[in-house]
Amino acid sequence: MKILVPLKRVADPDNANKVKVNAGKLVTTGLEWKPNPFDEYAVETALRLTENGTATKTRQGEVVVVTFGPKDSETTLRAMLGTGADRAIRVDTGDDQIDGDVVARALKALVEKEKPDLVLCGKQAVDGDSGQVGQQLAEYLGWPQATFAGSIESEGDKALLVGREVDGGTIKLRVELPAVVSVDLRIVAPKSVKSVHTPATHAYPEGVRFAALMAIMAAKKKPLAEVKLADLTSDAAPKIQYLDYELPPARKAGVKVKDVTELVTRLKTEAKVV
Amino acid sequence: MTKPVQAINRYKADLRDMFFLLFEQFKLGELLGKGPFEAWGEEEVRTSVTEGYRFVREVLGPLNVVGDIEGCKIENGRVITPTGFKDAWEKLFAAGWKTMSISPEFGGAGSPFSVQIMLEELMSGANAAFNMYPGLAYGAAEVVAHFGTPEQKKIYVERMFGGKWGGTMCLTEPHAGSDVGSAKTSARKNVDGSYSIKGTKIYISGGDHDLAENVVHLVLARVDGAPAGTKGLTLFIVPRLRHDENGVLGKVNDVAVTALEHKMGINGSATCVLTFGDNDDCIGYPVGGDAKVNQGMPQMFVMMNAARISVGVQGLSVASAAYLNALEYAKERKQGASMTHWKDPTAPRVPIIEHADVRRMLLDMKGKVEGIRALALKLTHHQDQVTFYKGTDDAKAAYNQGQVDLLVPLMKAYGSDQGFRVCETAIQTYGGAGYTRDYPVEQYCRDAKIFSIYEGTNHIQSMDLVGRKLGQAGGANFQAYMGDVQKFVAANSEHATLGAEVKRLGTAAEALSGSAMRLLMWFQSGNVSMVPLSANRFLEMMSELTVGWLLLEQAVIAETALKSVDPQHPDTAFYQGKVQSAIFFARNTLPGVAFKAELLAMEDKSPADISDAAFATV
Ligand SMILES: Cc1cc2nc3c(=O)[nH]c(=O)nc-3n(C[C@H](O)[C@H](O)[C@H](O)COP(=O)(O)OP(=O)(O)OC[C@H]3O[C@@H](n4cnc5c(N)ncnc54)[C@H](O)[C@@H]3O)c2cc1C
Repeated sequence: MKILVPLKRVADPDNANKVKVNAGKLVTTGLEWKPNPFDEYAVETALRLTENGTATKTRQGEVVVVTFGPKDSETTLRAMLGTGADRAIRVDTGDDQIDGDVVARALKALVEKEKPDLVLCGKQAVDGDSGQVGQQLAEYLGWPQATFAGSIESEGDKALLVGREVDGGTIKLRVELPAVVSVDLRIVAPKSVKSVHTPATHAYPEGVRFAALMAIMAAKKKPLAEVKLADLTSDAAPKIQYLDYELPPARKAGVKVKDVTELVTRLKTEAKVV
Repeated sequence: MTKPVQAINRYKADLRDMFFLLFEQFKLGELLGKGPFEAWGEEEVRTSVTEGYRFVREVLGPLNVVGDIEGCKIENGRVITPTGFKDAWEKLFAAGWKTMSISPEFGGAGSPFSVQIMLEELMSGANAAFNMYPGLAYGAAEVVAHFGTPEQKKIYVERMFGGKWGGTMCLTEPHAGSDVGSAKTSARKNVDGSYSIKGTKIYISGGDHDLAENVVHLVLARVDGAPAGTKGLTLFIVPRLRHDENGVLGKVNDVAVTALEHKMGINGSATCVLTFGDNDDCIGYPVGGDAKVNQGMPQMFVMMNAARISVGVQGLSVASAAYLNALEYAKERKQGASMTHWKDPTAPRVPIIEHADVRRMLLDMKGKVEGIRALALKLTHHQDQVTFYKGTDDAKAAYNQGQVDLLVPLMKAYGSDQGFRVCETAIQTYGGAGYTRDYPVEQYCRDAKIFSIYEGTNHIQSMDLVGRKLGQAGGANFQAYMGDVQKFVAANSEHATLGAEVKRLGTAAEALSGSAMRLLMWFQSGNVSMVPLSANRFLEMMSELTVGWLLLEQAVIAETALKSVDPQHPDTAFYQGKVQSAIFFARNTLPGVAFKAELLAMEDKSPADISDAAFATV
């Protein structure tokens, strides 16, 4: 199976207090970048689908990671090559002159060129929280899609049985490949992904795998191609314009209430929630 | 019933400082991508350190307190390590962080040693006790890699470097600690060429464990009829389980773990009493074969540098963790009002970091931690240059090797002594909370104490410095070192903002030179009894000079960088911090060097003069 995983780097959420706004623009100098966690889960899922979990050194298929960003976003791609992806593509853009729609249209062109069996993406990026690239891409491609996957079972690499997390439980959908699937947090639980190569009894460690030193060293030799955005889409103008940014107001100190009666009263009269 | 210990990570490290040292101060980039470091570029180094950090925080860090509270136990004659250690061992070797700088010949990645040492700081800082097991295996494997016969190398080296088999170093005996030469463990040659080993070793770290399928002991023992003292010692390979020539394991080898020590710290590390040959059935072979009988000490000496550097780095690692935790706490804990309205009970309570004395403690810790890290990098960068220039520029390689030899005792002793003191200061910064188990610093402090004791007590280090290293190569190494310091002073004593501090460094350098001359004079004039009385002090002076020098070098680099860095960028604060560390150290520690030189010149002999009885009459 060949899988394409779009990947975005986001400002390290642990250092969120360093984000500054200047004249209506985010100041990105000195931000520490991390791969968007949901995209990391997508890469982990792609790796699990293309290997025997008990012998992860050989890949049974191909995992291609794609990012949109400036030259230094290649670090994020290399890190993914270090965890086991085979190949990387960087679509050359700035960090902020694109929106989800531009990305989806450019990805469509890329998918038509690369012809993967599956596009796996994170359900959303934790910076803008837009959560639309996967859905738009499926629409543009005319492919089936399943969103917020918490489990995936490969059926002979012809179709996937996707467990979608919905209110009150899980819905199981069968999607025929090729398809677009976006993943949620629980996809990286030990037994969430069942590939045709891995014994059913195998349990992965919780979470995404560590990059081993030898794989980091080998990553340098793996192909990393650069593509111009204009070569993928003739219309690269973002439809969404960001007018201004504001930091959330600092949280106010809480109040202590005497007893339950007061609590209920205040919830009624002040917070108006009951 | 004891409740299960909560495994949470408290470790954090300063990667920005590591990258500053590697790439801005010591310019590792100049050695990368070439010669022995062909496969390594800046990106591989950065990714390794970053990924290694993620690994230690997720895998080793959470087990630090688990190991401390659970400790180790003996069941059915075997040591059981704390919960999670075995899993962590497997993950560690799968990830490859222990085999980074090992030659590809033995399954390693051939990284610069300086990069490995940064990973050592991360592993040890996250869990010093755990890191003892792979650390000892590594040290033992290095000895065999260096001196073993081809067959021994084939059997042991890759298995031990790769974590399949563990390893130990068995030197200490009940009556032979610092005085290794009085070891009594014996070895008798058998007709089949093997040796029968018999004796008791104590305090053996990782002397037994359940992490790997075998444990390979390196045992210092005396072959029957060999001379007394260190000259008659041979280093034996004694596996816990015997094996055939392909490494297939067989029966047990009459090595028994008879007790575990109950200790102040590093409780997750099993400190064992081992008896060899209680049933006269313990077999060993000399490292390097029969030709190397009685060569045990020279073999140990070759490996000693690496082991001593590691212990100094243990001190650094725990101190850094203690500092960064104390810093975090100081920003959160509110207590008292600001100095400006300290009498007003309604004034807002401020975080303790706003109090002058807390800031003093924090800056003191910052300077020491960063200074010792710089010392570790200076030393290992010299080591990397030895590797780099060997065979192509032997003069350069020799100069660098000389500096390594000279700086090793400083790294071991100053790193461990000050590491412990930083931990103590970290507790003081917290106040009462620091003394409790709710915060990690009391454990750091307990763990850190051992570093000044094992691998040669710090007094042994200072005697190595004044007795061997100062005069090594006819004094050329020390002269080259003084030359390097003086070159820096000459180039920077008129520096626009740091000139005054650089001059303090110059004064300290002169004082140290004077003290070195005095030591030499004592040796020559037969006043040798003054030497051990002053050795620790001299080591401390030289360490302070070195740290002061390296911190000022950082400050000079930082001042230049500040001219072009974007004020919005966090690097601005980083570089400003560098300048402040250096100024603080130059003003608060460097002047003490000249003062200590005066003390040394006083030739005080009172510790020698006082009678044993006069110490106390109880
Ligand atoms: C937790 C732990 C782990 C250890 N791990 C190992 C291990 O894996 N393998 C191993 O072989 N050993 C190990 N050791 C032993 C350790 O190396 C010794 O404890 C150390 O070398 C000191 O020896 P000693 O304890 O016998 O003290 P002693 O040698 O009795 O020293 C006591 C004091 O006297 C001083 N002193 C001794 N001789 C002199 C002298 N000639 N001149 C001046 N002062 C002197 C010392 O500096 C010290 O202050 C370990 C010890 C501990 C506590």
